[in-house]
Amino acid sequence: MTQTPSFRDVEKLSAYLDGQLKPSEIARLESRLQTETQLASVLKDLRQARGLLRQLPQRRAPRNFTLTPKMVGQKPPLPRTYPVFRFATVLATLLLFFTFATNFMAPRMTQIAAPYPYGIGGSGGGGGDEEPALQMESAPAEEPAPAEAAEPALEEEAPAAEEPAAPELLAPEPTQMPPAAEDSARAAPTVAPSEKSGVQIVPTTEAYAQQTAPEGAEQAQPVKPPIGTTVQIVLAAVAILSGLIALILRYTAIRKWRAKAK
Amino acid sequence: MDEPALIQEAQRGDLDSFNTLVLNYQDILFNTALRIMGDQDAAADATQEAFISAFRAIKSFRGGSFKAWLMRTVTNACYDELRRQKRRPTTPLEPETDDGEEMENPRWLADPSMSPEEEVEADDLEHAIQHCLDELPTEFRAVVVLTDIQGMDYKEVASAVRVPLGTIKSRLARARLRMRECLQGFWELLPTAFRLEEESLRT
Repeated sequence: MTQTPSFRDVEKLSAYLDGQLKPSEIARLESRLQTETQLASVLKDLRQARGLLRQLPQRRAPRNFTLTPKMVGQKPPLPRTYPVFRFATVLATLLLFFTFATNFMAPRMTQIAAPYPYGIGGSGGGGGDEEPALQMESAPAEEPAPAEAAEPALEEEAPAAEEPAAPELLAPEPTQMPPAAEDSARAAPTVAPSEKSGVQIVPTTEAYAQQTAPEGAEQAQPVKPPIGTTVQIVLAAVAILSGLIALILRYTAIRKWRAKAK
Repeated sequence: MDEPALIQEAQRGDLDSFNTLVLNYQDILFNTALRIMGDQDAAADATQEAFISAFRAIKSFRGGSFKAWLMRTVTNACYDELRRQKRRPTTPLEPETDDGEEMENPRWLADPSMSPEEEVEADDLEHAIQHCLDELPTEFRAVVVLTDIQGMDYKEVASAVRVPLGTIKSRLARARLRMRECLQGFWELLPTAFRLEEESLRT
């Protein structure tokens, strides 16, 4: 018989080679194989192909494919205390910086606040925040006689500020530093004829503060830092120690883990 | 330690246990990848990827044939690599002969313990078979490699490539026929191999 085998026959022949057919199917196929030469030829082809594939040599792996912790993203198990020390380091460091910042800012804040009390004492007038601003505005208009203008201002404003200011502070003021002088010091370019009144104009408020300092010398002493050095030392020690402990814990854990991995 | 115990330890994240399994299976996985990929370096990369994927997914292994499960990971790694190669085709850097030309036969894969004659014969046979395997569609190639080269049964292969048993039978029959047709072109190159086959048929 020379009937061309169908693909279904080829499938059965392939499964027959691998022993994947039921006994009844095997018997039927074997009887057909005895009569159908084409079917037997296909079986021979399939067997040859399978035999050749089975002859392929098995190669050894060119290297070991064992995995390292890094390959699979494993991290060493750190001790439970590690995060505590790490947090303590960060917190202590932040607090230390805060203390430095506070101590640095405190004297500056005092200096900014300082000129007004001196001004009040020196001019004997006003004392309010608005006062110097008002005088600055009026200064250019009174340009021809700034020193003269200072006198009425002193006379008028003094009573208002008299309650907090001592009378002896007010007395020498007109000759040493008229109230307008402070304004003119701020608005220096417009106050040229100050020599007429014999008043020495100080260009900056700091210098003015130095001039008027003798009486209030005790008040001008450096302000004591609000946060003591002891606190800073303790914080620095905590930061360094906890940081070191955290580093040691981490290093030891990684070392142990690597030794185990080897 | 036996395999189930090693698998259990590996499922708990023990890399040492998993590496013991790697050492047991690395040759099988590498050979499978080599026959599917047809290139040693690509096969090594696919094998490494397969083991990494296997470790990450080992908790999902619910028993059965661990070999089939590993074969699935390596087959998937090979498919991924082949898809990548298809997207970005590259010119393979094959070893050069003394004349500076690329070596056509994969002689560098040969076993150094063979005699020169056996080596030449094995080279020719291996080259011809690998060539014919490369000509097969990827899904046919995987099935024929797992069944005929790795000697896995149909159920294991079906589990490894995640297709029904009937599809395995069909793909295998087609693949074997195509292999036979392809190898007929190398008849002169493979006389001994075929002679042996003929002799085995007679006995």
